[in-house]
Amino acid sequence: MVGPHEVLGMSRHLGLTTTEFLARHADNGGTTLRFGDDGRCAFVTEEGCRVHPRRPLVCRLYPLGRATDGRGGERFALFPKQDGCEADLGTGGTIARFLESQGVAPYLEWSVRYGELYRRMLGLLERLDIQGRVEAVEGPGAGEPAVEPDARRAPISPWQDIDASLAGYCDENRIAVPAVIEEAIDLHLAAMRAWLDGLEAQAGEGRDISPGKDDR
Amino acid sequence: MGKQDIGKIVNRREVLKLAGTAAAFCASFGFLHGSQTGGVVQDKHAPVGKMELTKWTQAEIKWYSGATLLESVPVPAKVLKHLQSDPAATVEIKLFRSGQLLRNLGTIQGKH
Repeated sequence: MVGPHEVLGMSRHLGLTTTEFLARHADNGGTTLRFGDDGRCAFVTEEGCRVHPRRPLVCRLYPLGRATDGRGGERFALFPKQDGCEADLGTGGTIARFLESQGVAPYLEWSVRYGELYRRMLGLLERLDIQGRVEAVEGPGAGEPAVEPDARRAPISPWQDIDASLAGYCDENRIAVPAVIEEAIDLHLAAMRAWLDGLEAQAGEGRDISPGKDDR
Repeated sequence: MGKQDIGKIVNRREVLKLAGTAAAFCASFGFLHGSQTGGVVQDKHAPVGKMELTKWTQAEIKWYSGATLLESVPVPAKVLKHLQSDPAATVEIKLFRSGQLLRNLGTIQGKH
């Protein structure tokens, strides 16, 4: 699993744009890292992980799994050690100390913030009650399949490509694209929030949701 | 505002973008909604050594006739708990008929 903010961090570490990173290193609609033919993560080399300083949350958590109940409760589980894993699993530490050592705090916070947007999306889809209400419009897009032919590689959503989506957003709002990763993530969240604000306002007023400025 | 109050026509492209983004986030972050099962509740401040392996939270014994599944029965919780407790823990499965041992079907270890 890999989120847009994690793609951004790894892209910067490798000197790539997020567009390039997604094309070269992501699968499953941009939601997972591409694995090699041997079934291993392509970033794991003899010298170690090529993106270790910016590795995703799921890598930081391993061998732990984490689930939340939406009310602030956390559950942790221990996964079996994978073949080839050279790490030693100690038994004297605590989960809290392990999490701290792996630098997960900002990643958990980003998950919470993106999670808030996700819940808004679900709420909006529910309110739109799209079943039977989506017009097959004429023109570009009409009659096309809902997903790209090579769905395994193409991002499912343009919002997964932070560089591309922020380029459009910053140009439209006449602001500079942040160079600092954390600031770019903040702006990405703000841009998505504004997009959802617009959709919710239109849906709330019972108007059609028009194509246009966010179709990047 | 209820569903019926919302406009009848919604642009396809924008709805696909919304649904696609929700689907992407669901996959990227592992967001799920509704009740979930599995996983082991752990105190974040408890020693890691006290944690249980997740792989034995659910297991079944299945009977086949050729490729046809005849019956599937969950492994009892007591047995799973034993396997979860220690990677070195073992369980032997033995087949009995009228109280007499016919065969030892094999041994399962916690680390399997």
